[in-house]
Amino acid sequence: MRTNPSTRTGAGRALVTVYGVFALAATARSLVQLLTKADEAPLAYALSAVAGLVYVAATIGLAELGPNPRRLAWAAVGFELVGVLTVGTLTVLDPELFPDQTVWSAYGAGYGWLPLVLPFAGIAWLWHTRPRP
Amino acid sequence: MDGPLPLALLVGSLLFAAVVLVYVVLDRTPDWGLLGLAGVVEAATLVLLVVAAVQVGGVDLSGGAVVTLFGYLLAGLVLLPIGFVWSLAERSRGATAVLLVAGLAQAFVVLRVMQVWPS
Repeated sequence: MRTNPSTRTGAGRALVTVYGVFALAATARSLVQLLTKADEAPLAYALSAVAGLVYVAATIGLAELGPNPRRLAWAAVGFELVGVLTVGTLTVLDPELFPDQTVWSAYGAGYGWLPLVLPFAGIAWLWHTRPRP
Repeated sequence: MDGPLPLALLVGSLLFAAVVLVYVVLDRTPDWGLLGLAGVVEAATLVLLVVAAVQVGGVDLSGGAVVTLFGYLLAGLVLLPIGFVWSLAERSRGATAVLLVAGLAQAFVVLRVMQVWPS
């Protein structure tokens, strides 16, 4: 019998909540930055906006909304992992690269390292709930 | 926003999160007591929003800071209700933990409001 466990029940419900909070926070913050001071650090703020959209996509995917939520969730948490590792490494090597903080700067140290932990939690949860024949 | 309200709300949010943590550990589902505590936090957040709206004209804040301030206050207003709707749709330890996340996010929002407001 083929099983297809839900990603939004049990512990997944709390995980969706954490992603939802990050989606709201990162998107709202980047909107405020882009609308009020876009010229100060356009690259950092554009990156914040991308991070916000990635969190929105992960939230939608893990909450099982839309036509192919599992694929969306995998793509989002994969992008998120690459993003936080890349931006984290770049900002540690060259702090001048982004004049203002982004959610992924210094591996998310400004957000209690949660941005670094979250993609691993997302991947672990997607793997744990993978469809099995 | 002088006075004890912001600090009391911060403590209340953390207290709510701590109580939810006990519920999660004991694997208890949310009850009326928990809902009542969330109601008190929610009402205090609404009062804080009104107080901020009344007093914001008298303090030195840039346009961006004002948007940030009320963004946080509005987020603080919707966090717990959305958290409860999402949590109560299911009876499980993970669903109760949703309220823990919401309570901690609420505390963070209040903390940020206190930081943005000029002392």
